[in-house]
Amino acid sequence: MGALMALVAKDIKQLLRDPRSLVMVLLMPILVMFMFAAGYGEERGGVVPVAVVNLDGGVVSWQFIEAIRGSGNFRIVGFSPAKEIGIEMVRKSEAYAAIVIPQGFSDSIIAGKSTRIVVVLDASYATVSEIVWQAVAIAVQQFTKIAAEQYSTFNIDVMRETVYGPKVSNLDTFTSVVMGVLLHLVPMSLIAVSISRERERRTFEQLIMTPITSAHIVIGKLLAYSIVTVVDMLVTLGLSVLLLGVSVRGPLMDLTLVSLLLLVCSLSLGLLISAVSRNQLQAYQASIFFFIPSMLFSGFFMPVELLSPFAHAIGKFLPMYYFIRAFKSIQLRGWTLADVAQDCAILAGEALFFLVAAIRMLRLRVE
Amino acid sequence: MGLAIEAVNLTKVFGIFKAVNNVTLKVEEGVIFGLLGPNGAGKTTTIRMILGLLKPTSGYVKVFGIDVTRERKRALNLVGYMPQQFSLYEDLTVEENLRLYASLYGINGLEAEKRIRELLDELMLAEYRKRPAGKLSGGTRQRLALAAAVVNRPRLLVVDEPTAGVDPPLRRYFWEKFRKLRDEGVTVLVTTHYMDEAENCDKIALMSRGSVAAEGSPLEIKRLAYGGDLLELEIVGNPQPIVEEFGFKVLSSETRGGVEKVTLLVPDASLVLASLTRALERSGVKVVRAYPVPVSLEDAFIRLTASSYSLKR
Repeated sequence: MGALMALVAKDIKQLLRDPRSLVMVLLMPILVMFMFAAGYGEERGGVVPVAVVNLDGGVVSWQFIEAIRGSGNFRIVGFSPAKEIGIEMVRKSEAYAAIVIPQGFSDSIIAGKSTRIVVVLDASYATVSEIVWQAVAIAVQQFTKIAAEQYSTFNIDVMRETVYGPKVSNLDTFTSVVMGVLLHLVPMSLIAVSISRERERRTFEQLIMTPITSAHIVIGKLLAYSIVTVVDMLVTLGLSVLLLGVSVRGPLMDLTLVSLLLLVCSLSLGLLISAVSRNQLQAYQASIFFFIPSMLFSGFFMPVELLSPFAHAIGKFLPMYYFIRAFKSIQLRGWTLADVAQDCAILAGEALFFLVAAIRMLRLRVE
Repeated sequence: MGLAIEAVNLTKVFGIFKAVNNVTLKVEEGVIFGLLGPNGAGKTTTIRMILGLLKPTSGYVKVFGIDVTRERKRALNLVGYMPQQFSLYEDLTVEENLRLYASLYGINGLEAEKRIRELLDELMLAEYRKRPAGKLSGGTRQRLALAAAVVNRPRLLVVDEPTAGVDPPLRRYFWEKFRKLRDEGVTVLVTTHYMDEAENCDKIALMSRGSVAAEGSPLEIKRLAYGGDLLELEIVGNPQPIVEEFGFKVLSSETRGGVEKVTLLVPDASLVLASLTRALERSGVKVVRAYPVPVSLEDAFIRLTASSYSLKR
């Protein structure tokens, strides 16, 4: 019993005497919960950008559009007189859905007849489609209730059409998320401990006595870890396509390149963590610490645009945000690298930024 | 002769602890320079500052006239370093470690192969070449560390406690190596807390609590500790008049079986031994034996650091 208590006391003391790690241990849950609440808690967050295709143009159709706007769930980003243009907006991800009001909509309602609106959904974002679908149903219900007082009884059916559909399997939907986790957390934490390990094993002291620069150390590690982890990446991607039957609509080569970009970006961020950490524990915790916002604000569960502006703002700094966008677009929408060039450019830019910062932060001293 | 190391007014403060306090060291080229002192005296901190591994709180260092912080690359090409703890890659083999360090110094291809073979032979490592460094015995590991430290044929070799925890034959072997290197023109800066080893050094600096307590050759240090050499006489008769005439101080005297044993403090034992003996004999004192007392550096060190007043020259 005495020995047990002594060991407990020893470990508590050791934890308390590494203030950097301790701050992370204590602050991480608080910060994460705060970020989570700020990102997901805000009710006004989930405003879905939609396009409205009004083929009717009558008075009632405008009342209906007003009802959709007034429901608070939608932000109308475009009006169009042609269905094709609405669909194109959904295809290009400018709108998450297009609500198509048919010709004769006003007449049908005034006449108390049945009519049918069409909601064009983006099947590649299954969760969003579900949200849009439900929100449209509610808006239609509310409109029916109010309009019934003015006009006679009528009926509106809602029909679902999809782009990139008809249906995307769960496997396909979550491939981007799983790849993101594998290509971010794993390489980042692996390389993050690399320099602190050299410090702890004292090999750093001998290494930096040779006439090399911090760029040698950082770039050397980046290349070595890239070569090793890229094999892992190719195997994972290959397995999921060939063995697990994950479907890829765009070019597989482009998907591989996007994955490679995230891999390099993760390794560079890991190196930056490594350059400023004093020991392996700190480095490891810092990697997890950096990973959590990526999980919350990169569109793992829902596009960050639908969360609060805070979440959106954070997401825009995260490599994972750009990766998920680019990967999904290639995999599920059949886009090519050229279509996601902007996301790729930002990923590459962030990788370069982390790398340069790591080189600058790495001090060739033993203090 | 130029200066291999010129360290001026080095001070290093860690938090509120002054590890090194205003240390100035000037090491001439082609000598074995020993930095002596007990553990915690600031030896390792001092050499780390000399090598640029630690940034001095104040003061500056030049190696062969090159500023270590400003022209790191140029300075490090001239320097070899063997740290206190084994610092090579334990998961690489002996040969792989040496090849890595050769490359880091820009030695590649055939030149590297030649140099590595040379070092494997010279440091008796050939039979271990394929073994991971982590699986070597302590002594072999130290030899590998030395091989890596000299792979670039440094003009200055800095070794931090090379003989700590090493068996006596290997300790001797290391000192022979250092002397051989010195004879080839390499300057060797070595730290140790074994005072007996320091006799091998051409020059030593004694460090105590972050400062240099004394500096000079081993002989000079000993003289400094006592204010001269110790000479012991075993005599029959009264030496007093002659000793006074020479102006030597009597440190102790005891008589046993009719023979008096007198310990004298003299400026230089080798110079005065003959003339003193002759003078004593001439005055009728019978000199049974006369010999300089060997003073250990350890005694000298304890004398120098124990005294409250500064003995720094």
